[in-house]
This record gives sequence, structure tokens and C-alpha cells, in this order.
Amino acid sequence: MTQTLYTRFMARIERGEKIEAADWMPDDYRQLLLRLIHMHAVSEIMGAYPEKEWVPRAPTLRRKLSLMAKVQDEIGHGQLLLRVAEDLAEPLGRTRDDLMRDVMTGRVKFHNVFHLEAPTWADAGIIGWLVDGAAIITQTALLDCSYGPYARVLRRICAEESFHMQHGESIILTLAEGTPAQREMLQEALERWWEALLFFFGPPEVTASARKMMEYRIRSRTNEELRQKFLSRYVPRIRAVGLRIPDSRLRFDEETGRWTYTEPDWERLGRMVRENDGPKSRERIGLRRRAHEEQAWVRDALVRAGHAAMV
Amino acid sequence: MRSGGVANGAGAAASRPGHEVYEVFVQSSALEPHTHVGSVLAPSAEWALQVARENFARRGTAVNLWVVRRRDIAATPADDGDFFVREFDRTYREVSGYSDNARRWKRFKARAMTMDEVMDDVRGG
Ligand SMILES: [Fe+2]
Ligand SMILES: [Fe+2]
Repeated sequence: MTQTLYTRFMARIERGEKIEAADWMPDDYRQLLLRLIHMHAVSEIMGAYPEKEWVPRAPTLRRKLSLMAKVQDEIGHGQLLLRVAEDLAEPLGRTRDDLMRDVMTGRVKFHNVFHLEAPTWADAGIIGWLVDGAAIITQTALLDCSYGPYARVLRRICAEESFHMQHGESIILTLAEGTPAQREMLQEALERWWEALLFFFGPPEVTASARKMMEYRIRSRTNEELRQKFLSRYVPRIRAVGLRIPDSRLRFDEETGRWTYTEPDWERLGRMVRENDGPKSRERIGLRRRAHEEQAWVRDALVRAGHAAMV
Repeated sequence: MRSGGVANGAGAAASRPGHEVYEVFVQSSALEPHTHVGSVLAPSAEWALQVARENFARRGTAVNLWVVRRRDIAATPADDGDFFVREFDRTYREVSGYSDNARRWKRFKARAMTMDEVMDDVRGG
């Protein structure tokens, strides 16, 4: 029975059909998707924290407005993605509340870049330009995902990301056009983020679960392919605005058509994600917990009001 | 918000005993959202789907249909403009609010990036 269901499922995948929430799917398809989308959702939410730290300190009113709009978008992306994750988690007996609590217990990880400090306004610029730039590349690579609800939500997200792209570019252009002190601040921020940006795409080896995801057409590009795309798109622009990339081995090999670079410290940065021991991990998770707990009464009140309205 | 809706200004009551109004949503491809196309009058959801197929999916492509009882739809009042009011200029949220980026990149002898170009690059070759 399961065998025929599986054969039929794989035939659908191979025909390029989209799988919907209520369709039969193999357990490992559900698990792989849930892990991916849960982490994606939580990373959108935790990703708003480093930027929100800059909302009160943004240099102009317009920058404050655009930063707030961006923070709002990222939380919104988290909401859209959580909904998709919830439908996948439902047959496993897990709820929205479980998915949110997993952040606090460390059961779900979030992207390495959101564990780091953003000490200057230039860091806010680098996040908007390069962290979003990297995230845009990984997200566009998932637009053809075989799971329909995820693919559709990613379309909306990518449409909003085009504003994030302009927002980030605008901040770094202003700093790059600015005083020597502003340019120096931008250079220092780039140095802080570079290694983490390379790490963001994940290790170059194609792991067993990555291979499985490709078989299921959840994703179609390897980590290394995406990192190479990022380097091709951004290295020339980073250099054009007069910044020095802190990697003396970085170069484009004309023969292989690939970038060579110094590998990030996989072990150290990996531990930061696994154990939540980055410079800001604990503090941001603490803020998340506080928000979750202090707003519990609002969620309860809404449920009570809903029941009252029904009688 | 209101529920038990009188969507599009029509009465909630069906104009034939034992029937109900169902709003119809068509999905034209698996990557598109369901789009509202109109309504049908039917004695059951199953029948509404049949009628909806005949009325709205005779040509063109459809991969999925939804029918939703009109009285189950909650909608904003049609005459409440305040619900969607924009208090001030919001171009800072739009790509169009950053049209000077292209000119500024040019001064650095580089080109502004667009989302479409990234999509083609990453999904294509
Ligand atoms: Fe986002
Ligand atoms: Fe973003």
C-alpha cells in the first residue's frame, strides 16, 4: 500500500507537480520540509532583532521608517512561514505554540548571522545589503520547490525582499559616498560580517539530507552553487564602492569559472548555531521569550473574546 | 470586520429554497493563489463545485477550485475607507522610493541589481 503511494508520489514529483498540505507524502519528505521551513520561519523572526536594535538610533527619520518597514516585513515573513510549517507539523501532533517554544529551548536553530552583534549603523547597512542579499539568493533558489504552499509563500516574500535590496543598497551607498570616517565604519562592518556571510550558505559537502531534498525537488541547488552565485553578484559591487574584502585568497579562477576563498571556520561558527553561543544568541532568545510570555494574556484574551462572541 | 457577510452588497439569503450562495475561487496553476471569480447558487458544496466548474472553468486552465459559503466569509465594509488609509507617504517601503540608487551605483562604475535578474540567475543556468 505505502509502496504504491510512494511510487505515485515520486511520479508526481518527477512530473514537476506541486504537493499540497493535504496530499499523501512520505514521512521523510514531511520531516525535511518541516525542518527547513521551521528554521526559515524562526530565522526571519530572530533576524529582525539585530535590525530592530537600530530603529531608535537610525540617523534620519526616513531611515527609521524604512528600517521599521523592513523589520515589520521580516516578522511578517516569519508569520507566513509558520503557517506553512504548522500544516506540516499538525499530523505530528505539534502546534504553533510548540514551534515557537522550540526557539527558546534550542530545539530549532536559526541562521548564524543573527547570532552576531551589530555595533554600528554600518552593520545595519551590511545586514540590509549583504545578509539580505545572501538570503535572497537562498530564497529564490527555493521558488521552484515541489511543496506548493512553500513555493507560493516564497513568491510573496521575494517580492518584498526587492524593497530590502534597495533599502540595504541605499544605506551603504550613502556611507560609501560619505566622509572618510563613514567609509572606515563601513569597511570595519564588512570585516565583521564577511566570514559569517560565507558560512551562511552552509558547508560545501552535499550531505545525505541535502541529496534527499534534491531528489524530492525541495531544492535544486547545492550550498556551494549558491555561495558562488553570491560571490559573483556581490564581490564586484563590494569592490566598486571601494571596500576591501578581508580575504587575501579570494579570487576568481578563469579556468574553472569558480571563486576560491578562505573557508570560514565551520567548527566555531557551527557551534554558535548549534549551541546558541554567539555574542548575541542568549540575549535575543531572552527577548523572544519575554515577548512570548508577556503577550500570553493577549492571546488568551482573544480566545475568550472569540468564545464570548459565539454565544 | 463583519461576518455572515453580504459580500458585494447582495443579501445573504439564497434566492431558492434549500440553496445557498457559494463564492468561487479558481487556481490557474499550482504556483498561483486562488482567485475570486464570482459566485454560484447550489444546494450543497459538492454541487457548487460542479456548477463552478461549468460556469468558470470551461476554458483556460484550472488546477483547483474552492467554493466557500458566502455567509462564512468575513469581509471589511465596502464603505469604510479608513480601514485601508495611508496616513502619510509610504514610498520608503517601495522599490520606487529608491530610484536614485541606480544613478549612485553608476558613479561607482557599477550597476544596480534587480530582483528579476537575481531570480533568472539563480533559477536558470
Ligand atoms: Fe525576509
Ligand atoms: Fe529581508
